[in-house]
This record gives sequence, structure tokens and C-alpha cells, in this order.
Amino acid sequence: MQTIIENLQKHFQVVSYHQQRENLGFLIASKEVAVGLITHLRDYEGFAHLVLLTAVDWIEDEHFQLTYLLHHPEKKVDLGVRVMISRENAEMYSIHHLWEQARTYQRELREMFGINFPGSPDVDKPFILEGWEEIPPYRRDFDTKEYSEKTYFPRPGRETHDPAEYMKKKLYPNE
Amino acid sequence: MSKKLLKWNEDRTLFPEKNSEGKIDVDYDSHKFMKIWHGPQHPGITGNMSLELTLLGDEVMDCETHVGYLHRGFEKLMERRKYIQCFPIVCRVAVPEPDFNEYCFASAMEELAGIEVPEAAEWLRTLVLEMSRLQSFLAWMGGQAGSLGQGIIGQWTIYLRDLILDRFEELTGGRIYHMYMLPGGVRGLLPDGFRQRMTENLDEIDRFMKDVKKVMFDNAVFKKRTVGMGVIDPAWIHPFGITGPNARAAGVAKDVRKDNPYLKYPELDFEPVVGKDSDIYTRADVRRRDLLMTVDLIRQIMAKIPDKGDIRAKTPNVLHWKVPAGETYSRAECTRGEYGYYMVSDGTEYPRRINVRGPSYTHAVALLEKMIVNANIADVAGLMVSLHTYPPEIER
Amino acid sequence: MAKLNDILSPFTAWKHVVREPVTIKDPLNREAADRYRGFHKNDISECIGCGTCESICQNAAIDLVPVDGVETKDGDSGLRPRVDYGRCCWCGLCVDVCTTNSLSLSNEYTWVDEDPDNFRFVPGAENKSWDSREKGYKKPGNGYELYNPKREAMEELEPEKRDQSFIEIVQGYSKEQAEQEADRCVECGICVATCPAHMGIPEYIKAIRNDDLNEGLRVLYDTNPLPEICGRICTHKCETVCSVGHHGDPLSIRWLKRYIADQNPAEEYKKILNTENLQPTGKKVAIIGSGPSGLSAAHYLALMGYQCTIYEKLPAAGGMMRFGIPEYRLPYDQLDKDINYILSLGVEIKYNVTIGKDITLEELHNQYDAVFSGTGLHMGRSTRVPGTDHPKVYQAVDLLRDIVLGKEIPLEENIVVIGGGNVAMDITRSLARLQKQKYGKVGVLATSLESEDIMPADREEVIEAREENAVIDPGWGPVEIETEGDKVKGLHVVKCLSVFDENRRFAPKFDEEQKKFFPADMVVESIGQGMDLSYLPEAFKEQLDMDQRGRILVNDDFQTSAGWLFAGGDIIQGPDVIHGIANGHKAAMGIDKYLSEK
Repeated sequence: MQTIIENLQKHFQVVSYHQQRENLGFLIASKEVAVGLITHLRDYEGFAHLVLLTAVDWIEDEHFQLTYLLHHPEKKVDLGVRVMISRENAEMYSIHHLWEQARTYQRELREMFGINFPGSPDVDKPFILEGWEEIPPYRRDFDTKEYSEKTYFPRPGRETHDPAEYMKKKLYPNE
Repeated sequence: MSKKLLKWNEDRTLFPEKNSEGKIDVDYDSHKFMKIWHGPQHPGITGNMSLELTLLGDEVMDCETHVGYLHRGFEKLMERRKYIQCFPIVCRVAVPEPDFNEYCFASAMEELAGIEVPEAAEWLRTLVLEMSRLQSFLAWMGGQAGSLGQGIIGQWTIYLRDLILDRFEELTGGRIYHMYMLPGGVRGLLPDGFRQRMTENLDEIDRFMKDVKKVMFDNAVFKKRTVGMGVIDPAWIHPFGITGPNARAAGVAKDVRKDNPYLKYPELDFEPVVGKDSDIYTRADVRRRDLLMTVDLIRQIMAKIPDKGDIRAKTPNVLHWKVPAGETYSRAECTRGEYGYYMVSDGTEYPRRINVRGPSYTHAVALLEKMIVNANIADVAGLMVSLHTYPPEIER
Repeated sequence: MAKLNDILSPFTAWKHVVREPVTIKDPLNREAADRYRGFHKNDISECIGCGTCESICQNAAIDLVPVDGVETKDGDSGLRPRVDYGRCCWCGLCVDVCTTNSLSLSNEYTWVDEDPDNFRFVPGAENKSWDSREKGYKKPGNGYELYNPKREAMEELEPEKRDQSFIEIVQGYSKEQAEQEADRCVECGICVATCPAHMGIPEYIKAIRNDDLNEGLRVLYDTNPLPEICGRICTHKCETVCSVGHHGDPLSIRWLKRYIADQNPAEEYKKILNTENLQPTGKKVAIIGSGPSGLSAAHYLALMGYQCTIYEKLPAAGGMMRFGIPEYRLPYDQLDKDINYILSLGVEIKYNVTIGKDITLEELHNQYDAVFSGTGLHMGRSTRVPGTDHPKVYQAVDLLRDIVLGKEIPLEENIVVIGGGNVAMDITRSLARLQKQKYGKVGVLATSLESEDIMPADREEVIEAREENAVIDPGWGPVEIETEGDKVKGLHVVKCLSVFDENRRFAPKFDEEQKKFFPADMVVESIGQGMDLSYLPEAFKEQLDMDQRGRILVNDDFQTSAGWLFAGGDIIQGPDVIHGIANGHKAAMGIDKYLSEK
């Protein structure tokens, strides 16, 4: 794993590499170099298998983290490429030309996080949701509880009591 | 490629010519094309998913997959639940093979929290994962046979699966959703007499599998409809992210249990089952042999599993368990391929992000859409089942 | 040939035609496995309604509701879980986390009913057919715990090191230990009602978990202005009702409180507690006695802007906390830390002033807008057995006070202490230390009416006293102190069979046949204290509402019938520090109400 990273550093600026365990590491790449880096990893380093592509919403820092998890079938190691992109007009270069399933991931990210991947086939087509009018639901600022309370109604007859509050009411209401 | 992708009409003069993108231009006004919905309610569909098929005659010209019928937003739901509260819901991500969710969730969390699971619990987890594989293969086998018109196989294998569910019920307290692999350990040792009953069940499965071989695999009809059909080119394995039996049937010996060993697999004796022809028949046969290997693995596990010992490591109080900040990916080999959980923690009591990587995500969308073109409508169900996909893990 | 085989082989399926069917004959009455997670059962006599089941349930399927016949009392909220089967997913985490192990799941899984509302019910309170079933899911054993039931051990000075000195024994938790201990809390809040001051216990424990000790201090001072003191010597009634203590050790609530106070430096208190700028009201309150109730009243009155003056008979503040509790349990610097903070809020203390002698109550009434009295119990009670009037028979409270004042106290080689409460243990252990210093060995024996299991002293006090080589021999009733001239020979006792009658009234029964003699050169009595209300003028006393036993009666605001006079602490309730603190707090609010309305 260490040699791979050393190799990589010759060609790319690899930021904050973190070895999570013997066969799994994460590194940060900038938005501009990420696709080139991933292509290099696939074609020259042998990370042929795209395990997953997903996003994490760091709303406090105003960016999304895209994680491209790549697997090396011979060396049996995984490398996560983390790319931070701005939450505002979130956009990332597509990798649909590298892996066939990437278009599905990108379509899902477009729908669930509102991250655009220009050029990715069918990226604007609804994937899971149909007729969704709210903000993309996997963003942190989408409140599932509020949505469900607005959309559905509970069966009446439920009420509960907090033990400490209830004991105060019963045992020492005036204190 | 020498082999046909699927059975198709040899006389191509009946069909319009392909355009520059390798597809044909569909012109509904010509009244030659027909659009049909295959699913979401269709016995040949694996779970709640539908295929929007464009047909010319009885041949599929184009296919668009539609998922979302079982979308419950698990990944989002988990973000507003404490870690322990995610435990009862993860199993529901993949109905027929819930234990892989439990395992991947628990092990990812344990890795981030730096918790070592006791020996007995490790063995019990290995056992439960293999039992889960066994019952999933049995259910699939009924589906594969059924999609090609052999009802009897399904009756046998569902009976066999029920035997395993009985054992699950005894060991875990549940038949379908076991909720057994709690972060930190498991929820019970083997009950008294479990080994004996398990051994009897495995013998019964062995007996029946001999008949399944004769009736389903050594069957002229089954062969005619599957040999040389639905071939996955080995060159597609990585570009499509194909894993599990779908990859092994193409001769690529990918098996997470060997490649990235976890739990007690390093102490078990097995070799990944590989095929070479990569057609529907080979995939079915790889799964049949994989099933038999799982039976063998359970026998090996039963011989080594301890009867006593701690079943759960000491962990922080689950009611306010803060998992140290970090991220990791935990994977396991389920019957359909690589199953994994990507977990990101920000150091609070709630997971920041959990992403479930189900093998069907690649198999049932990008791969299926490619393979189904030019298939005969009658073969669609058989092809789809041969990829062994479960929609809920796609939409989660 | 292969082809032919493929055509014939499937016909082997026909052999199954004659096979026994494998279907279950009566599927509706199939019993589930022993561990099956079916419908809930709850032993409602064991359940304390702590609500941990509700907090772990990710489906929000559990409500806590009042149930007929279950009373709200100390250690029991009176609520019981009601399960909504429209939401339950049968994960059984409620069973695993149940603090009393009262909740379980039966292995019944069939229940047909036409009314959907019936599927919401209180297990154990509404009878169900599966209530009597033995089988079903219970909390697994074999090291399976969702929270740690074992208490984080407290570092203590070893007996050999502590029996000669008055250095504090309990070392206090480290950060790691405190966080581990705080982690065990299930945040049920059952303890809050039992704490006389109703402290925000779950909140300050949470502050420890979050490593936000400033917030912890703020929570403490909401209800308790003496956290260093209470963190050491509180009677911790909260721990006796802790839900975690039902199957495991209760939380070390007291030590956690101490941890918060210890970790916050005194200089920063005013900043943390936001008490740098208090708005004065211009009104004045006199407080008699600087014990816990007086200090507490002064603290909360000062926060509300009242100018408080405390009148203290002795040369130092703290009352019983200083003059009754030995230094090895409560070091003076910690005591001073709490007191000095209160004084820093503008509270004034006049030392060596005895009311009724140096200044009269009437004068206080004239000079101040209101008066609070927290004079406590400082007069030792006597057993009044023959020989108690001998000069070598002493009162524990007097000796303890003299030790603190630095006076030389009479000390013999063999001493018997009569009493089984905390004060008896305090004097026993103090005398043991002094003996060790003076004679190089310990020769003190404590005996009490109560047998070992019902001794009122804290359990650890008894254990530690024994570790320090004091003899504790409980269960004896004193008969006579044998004396000879100016010397004491020892104490004659008879076996005490029971202390209370069936109505829990004090009515000791003895077995006169079983006798024992404890030889001693000196006897110390420590069977309780009485109050000295001589500072109240007789004429005033006659107007004041008092009960038959001579206790002043107060209303909910701790206001006496005189209106301007409030009273609290041991003379009203207790005796202990935490009641004093609670009384002082309530009296302060009562005084504020009284003066605002005036």
C-alpha cells in the first residue's frame, strides 16, 4: 500500500493520506485532479474495481465529500479517493466513461444530493424518487422527521410521560 | 465473441439497422414496436422492480430499469438514529440476506470504535453468515427453476430453506430478520441440541440437492434454455463492477472470503467455486456448487464452534455510544457478491453517513440493461434471476 | 447419449410422489422456538418505569403511561411501558436494556383481534394469554451487557497509610474514570425525585460525558451551592434508587458530583456561573448559623440581590460540616472553596456571635427585612443509662467539635462508643487515629442497638472503620456504665433482638440472658443530637406554631408563623447536609416571595 502511495506522489499531489487498516486507505484529491488520478489508479496501478461512489454532506463546512472507493483485485487492497466539492452549485466531473455502473451512481447522487455530473448519461432522469419537489433528500438540511410529520398523520391515542417530569408532578409539584 | 449473448432471431433483415450508437431508432408510429412493463408485480421479477421493455416482435430492443418501489431511505434514517438504533433496521435493507447488513454494520462500527469481538461471537457470526448464504441460495434456486417453468424445484428448496429458518429461529429468535449480530458481539450461544438438528438438516439438504441436480441441471429443457444464453464476457467484470458468482462463473475467482478474509474464514478449508462458460447454466451451476460448499463450511464451523464463552465485548453504554470520528469500509461475500458498508463517523452519537453497497446495484441496472437487449421476451425472467438481484439493496 | 440422459433424468422427480409430506399438520398451533421474540411480557411489580425501553426503541413504539394500582414513589415513576404493535419490530433491545430485567418477550406470535387499538397495550397490566409462558426471549447472559453494570472503582488511601492521619481517604476520579462512570448512566431521571434538592443529576452526568465541566458546574449550582461538600459527604439517597443499581452497582453519583467541582478552579466560578454582576435589591436578610441551610439560603438570596449577613456562634463557618465531619472525609480547603465562593457573592459572616447573648432575635428582626434560622442539632443526646453522668462519659459532637477547634481532647487507651450512625463512625475513626498517633495502637470499639444489617451508618463507613482496626460490634443495648471513683471500667450490654415494632416505631426488644461487657477507660455517646432553641425568647416561642416535640412548624416556603422568620436545616428536616441545602434554597425563594409581596 505504501509503495502505491509513493508511486502516486510522483505524479499527483496526494493530500492527507490516512491508512485506516492494512488493506484500506483514504486520500484527498482536489476536484480538478480527481478524475485524472482515478484514471491513473485504474489504468496504471491496477485499481480496476469501483466498489462504490457516494457522497457525505459536511454542511457545517459547506462542502460535499465524494468518496470513490477503488479496489485492487490482485493486491486485494482498497483506496478511497475523497474529493471535496462546494455545496453551492455542486458539480463534479463524470467518470461514466471509466466504469459502466458509474452512471447509476451519478444519477443517484444527482437525485439524492443534488450533485450534478455534466455529461453523465441520463443524469437528470429520476432514479428512485418520482415527482420529488423538496430539496434533495439526502442533504443534511432535509429533515426527514419534519417531512413525515407534514406528509403523513399518526394514529391518534399516543401519549407518553417523562419519568422525572412525571415524578415531579406527582411527588413535589410545588418545588 | 463466439457465443450468443442471448437467443435471438437469426434473420436480422426483419430488424431495423442500428444507428451510430449501436442502438436502433424506435419509432412507435410505425406500429412495429410495443412497450411493455415487466413488473413490479410479476413472478419473474426478483422483488419489487420493473423493467420498461421496448419490443419488436418477441425480442427486446431496449430496456430501462425502474427501481424505487421499496425505497425507505435507510441511509438517511440512520443519520438521525443512534448507532444502536440503527441495528434493528439495517437487516431490512436486504430482505433475503439480512445478516450481511448486520455483520457489515457491526464490523464497520467495531473497527472505528476499536472493539475486539470475543472468539465465540466470531464463530457464531461466521455460522450465521453461512446459514444466511445457504437459505439465500435455496430461495434463489427455486426462483431460477421457476422462472424457466420448473415449479417442483421451488417446492423442494423452499422446504429446505424453511429447515434453515427453523435453525435461525432457535439460534437468533427470529426467522427472517434475525437481529442477532449486535455491535460488539452476538445475542446468544448455540441452544442445546442445535448441532444435532443442524446436522440432520444438512444431510437432508445434501439428499435433496442430488435430486435437484438430476431434475434441474441434468435436464434437456433447462439446458436448452440456459446453455450459451446470457453470457457475461469476462472483460466486463471490472468495467461493470461484477462480483460474486456472476464473476466466478466467468472464471474470475473473486471471493471476499478469500481475498479479504474476515471472521473465522482463514480457519476454514475452502476454494472459491469457479466456472468458465459464463452463461446462465454455468452461473446456476456455480451457485449450486457454492451452495454445497456452504453446507460443507457449516459442517466445518459446527466442528469448531465453542459452546461456551463471552458473546459480547465490553462496549460503551449503547444509549450514548459515541463512535470516534473516521471512516471505513467493511465488506463480506454474500450469495450475490460483494456486500459492504461504508461508514463515516463525525465522533457523535449518530452516524454521519452510512452507504450500503449491495451487489445488485451494478448487476440489476447497468449490467442487466446491457444484457437484456435482443433477448427473447420469454427469457427475460430467467436472465434476470440468473443475475441474482434484490432490488431493496439498490434503492435502500 | 448425454442428451438421452438429460431427457430421462428429470423423471426421477416422480419418486417424491410417494414421500411423506413435510408440511406442518397444524400450522396455527406451532410453538415457536425457546428464544423466539414474540409478544411482550412485563413483571410490573419489578418494573420501575425508568423508561430506558422507550429511549432505546428506534421505532418509537413504546410510551410510558400511568397504570392503575401502581403508585409513584421514591425509585418508581409509577409509569409502565405501553407497546404499540403497529410500530414494534420485535428487535428486543428494550429487553436487553431493561434495568430491572422485568421486560421480556414471550414466544407467542399469533394474536387475532378485530380492533386495531387493542394492539396497543401495557404488558403485565393488561392480562394476555402469553403472560404465563416461560419460553421466549430474555436478556442473554455470557457477558452480554448494553451498559456496564459494574461501578468504576474509587482509589482510596490504603488503611495502613490513613489510620494515623486525617488526610482525605477518597482520592477522587480521574478524567477517564469519571467519563467511564458517567457513561453507565441511562439518563432515566428516577433519582431526581429522591434527591432532597432535586438536583439535575442526569444533566450533570451528561456534562461529564461531554467533557463540559463548566456546564456541569452550572447544573450543580442550580440546586446546590455546596458541591465540593456534597460531592464528598452527601448521604446520596439518589444512589439507593438508581435504576442501574437494580442489576449491578448504582452510579457513583456523589463521586461524579465531586469530580465536577474538583475540576473547576475556584477563581473561575464567578465567570462560569455568570455571577460577576448581581443586581442588589437593597433589602437585607439575617441568617443564623453558617451550616448548609444557612449557606444555601445566603447563596440563593445573594443571587437574587439580597444583602445577607450570617451570624455564627463559632469562630469558623460550616456548622456541622466543619465541626461534625472529620477532615479525612471532608478536607477544610474543599469546605472553604464552597464557602468562600458564597462569601464572594457579597455575603457577610459575623463570627463568635451568639444570638440571645451577643445580639437578640428582636434586634435582628428590627435591623433586617427577614431572618432565616438554621441552627442545627448540636446537643448530644444521652442514653441515660446509669453511669452516664460520670465525667469520663462524653458526647461525640462535643469531642468532634473540640478536635476541629484544636483543643486537646481526653484520650484513653480503651474507648467504647455507643451508637451506629455516621456520627458514631466519625468519632470512632477520629479516636482511632488519635490513639494511633498517641499510643501507636488502636483501642476503640463501637456498639449500636441496631444489628449490622440495619445500622444507619453508610456501609463503607463501617467497612473502613474496621480496616482501620476499630472494632464494630453492633446489636447490643447499653445497660450500665460501670464506674469506680473517677474511673470508668466499661459498658454492660444485653443482646438487642429488634429495634422497631411492626409499625416501624422505636420499641427495642432485648434478650436479657445474653450479656456482654466491653471494658473501657472512657465512653463516648453518639446516639443522636437535639436542638437548642434557647435563642428564641420564651414569650416569642409561645406565639410560634410548634409541634408537641418542640419542633418549629413551617409552611412550604419554610416560613414560620411569625412571617418574618424562616427556618430550615436539621431543626426542620433531616438531619443531613442535602436536606439543609434544599431547605435553604426553598427558604430563599420563600423570603423573596415574602419580601416582594410585602
